[in-house]
Amino acid sequence: MDILILLGSFALLCALGVPVAYALGLAAICGALWVDIPLEAVMLKISDGTDDFALLAIPFFVLAGAIMAEGGMAARLINMARIFVGFIRGGLALVNILASSLFGCISGSSVADTSAIGSVMIPQMVKAGFPRVFATNVTICGSVQALLIPPSHNAVIYSLAAGGTVSVAHLFLAGIFPGMLFALCLIGLVLWISHKREYPRGEPVALKDVPKIIVEALWGLVTVVIIMGGILSGVFTPTESAAVACVYAFLVTFLVYRDYKWRDLPHLVHRVVKTVAMVMMLIGFSVAFGYMMAIMQIPSKVTQFFLSISDNKYVFLFLVNILLLLLGTFMDLAPMLLICTPIFMPVILKLGIDPVHFGMIMILNLGIGLITPPVGPTLFVGCAIGRVSMEEVSKELWPFYGAMCLALLLVTYVPAISLWLPGLTK
Amino acid sequence: MAYEFYPSNRRSLAFGLEYPLTLKQRYARLMEDLYLACIVISGLAIVVITLIIPFGVFMRYVMNNPQSWPEPASVVMMVMFSFVGGAAVYRANVHVAVEALLNAVSPAQKRLMLIGVDLCMAATALFMTAYGAHLCQITWNQSMAEFPGLPVGVVYMPIPIGGFLTFLFLIERVWVGPPPATSIMYSDAASELE
Repeated sequence: MDILILLGSFALLCALGVPVAYALGLAAICGALWVDIPLEAVMLKISDGTDDFALLAIPFFVLAGAIMAEGGMAARLINMARIFVGFIRGGLALVNILASSLFGCISGSSVADTSAIGSVMIPQMVKAGFPRVFATNVTICGSVQALLIPPSHNAVIYSLAAGGTVSVAHLFLAGIFPGMLFALCLIGLVLWISHKREYPRGEPVALKDVPKIIVEALWGLVTVVIIMGGILSGVFTPTESAAVACVYAFLVTFLVYRDYKWRDLPHLVHRVVKTVAMVMMLIGFSVAFGYMMAIMQIPSKVTQFFLSISDNKYVFLFLVNILLLLLGTFMDLAPMLLICTPIFMPVILKLGIDPVHFGMIMILNLGIGLITPPVGPTLFVGCAIGRVSMEEVSKELWPFYGAMCLALLLVTYVPAISLWLPGLTK
Repeated sequence: MAYEFYPSNRRSLAFGLEYPLTLKQRYARLMEDLYLACIVISGLAIVVITLIIPFGVFMRYVMNNPQSWPEPASVVMMVMFSFVGGAAVYRANVHVAVEALLNAVSPAQKRLMLIGVDLCMAATALFMTAYGAHLCQITWNQSMAEFPGLPVGVVYMPIPIGGFLTFLFLIERVWVGPPPATSIMYSDAASELE
């Protein structure tokens, strides 16, 4: 009955259209009233949720990503990607995917990636003769890599949702190969489609321009070196590395690239405040919700439920993937990470699944959910930038879903893809 | 209820519109200013935190003089921008919500559901205001370890403030209607989708 009150009220409030953050808070209040917990305790948990120093990494990563995205980084990374794959058949589509991989090294958001890469690449692809829908689909699917490739603020959210027991540095390292594998699956599909439909070849980049293009792009890519180098060497905490990256991104944008105008800075901060405050409210209320779940022993009941179906971890992972893919179509990534991680954590520990590996599965799975209707923020932004309707895009997304699910299956059933790199540092 | 007109900035108010303003218009104006204040406070907090954390790193490694205050000060400011910014996010309608069912039902049912949503929002906002204020009250006499003299209650202050602001924005939405496209809330959108 406890579960029904807490999860039932949450589902009902969400279905009604209450913002997810507030639905979590109200459901926690309902649960507290039901099991007779003082409401002050719920309030204390809400504030606990937002006053953790580790959380500060989230606004910093969002801010650094926004500065780089709008400060001319995206265009320079696209130029760099053009050197490597621009001349192949379907070259611009491949450039789009590779630029997303590189951009993922700076921004951890697929929405930011779609908006930054898409606004440059989609018009270029259309001009070169690619259908608009295909260009949009390549952009939105390619952007999912940004969630995996470090630095990803979603990895920070997962680490927090797992109770701080999973190291952010390990999650960052773990994301590199799944991100690359994801890109390879998409590249394979795009090559096949491009040959079948005879999409145009791109122009090779003149050799004399190559050094300048690479140097310009490297200025931005140093951000990831600061972040990863700082964290892995123990010089910075993830939060500090993200703050230093913000300052670096700011300096590169305003002193080296000089595309960005000072007067646009307040708008940038305005956008960042909107994104970050939304995520922080979600985190605050989800901590209260998680507290009620723990009091009602929901995670252990879920563990028992799954173990009663099967104690085989591969069966469990399969079931979880199906469940998350379904839920991901309706719900955004951050709230799903915050709600589901504490529920599944005891099961995965019992079944001997590494939490770092499970984090990659969740982020990739829910990342696919960002481009599935009816609720898909990346899909919405992609459609707006590509100026195509959601129906047109959805119809042609199926082969892309296939490629992405192949990547998901590989990441799920070959743990070494995620765990090999963090294993080297242990 | 739709806006009959909405002053997008002070200039248009001064030059283009006739006085006196109705109560509704005054309230909408006040909310627009409050929104701007929320964003400015939250934005400043983010900028200040972005500067003091690297300052802490600089003092630790370069000056060999570790400072203890940047970390707790950042946390206090983070709670502030979370809840004050969270209220602004509510007005800007950016909070993640599942709208699948809302879009599938008839207009009459949708109106009913939206009333339900507003009631739930009012309940949460009032809960934050009342219980947040209570939390501040009971922790007001404890002082923070890192900043002696500063009550612990100060850390919790943004919760009741954020709750109350959300409630004020909710009143605007119900009484006056959603802010128009000319609102300052959307001033950041143009370059986003360029």
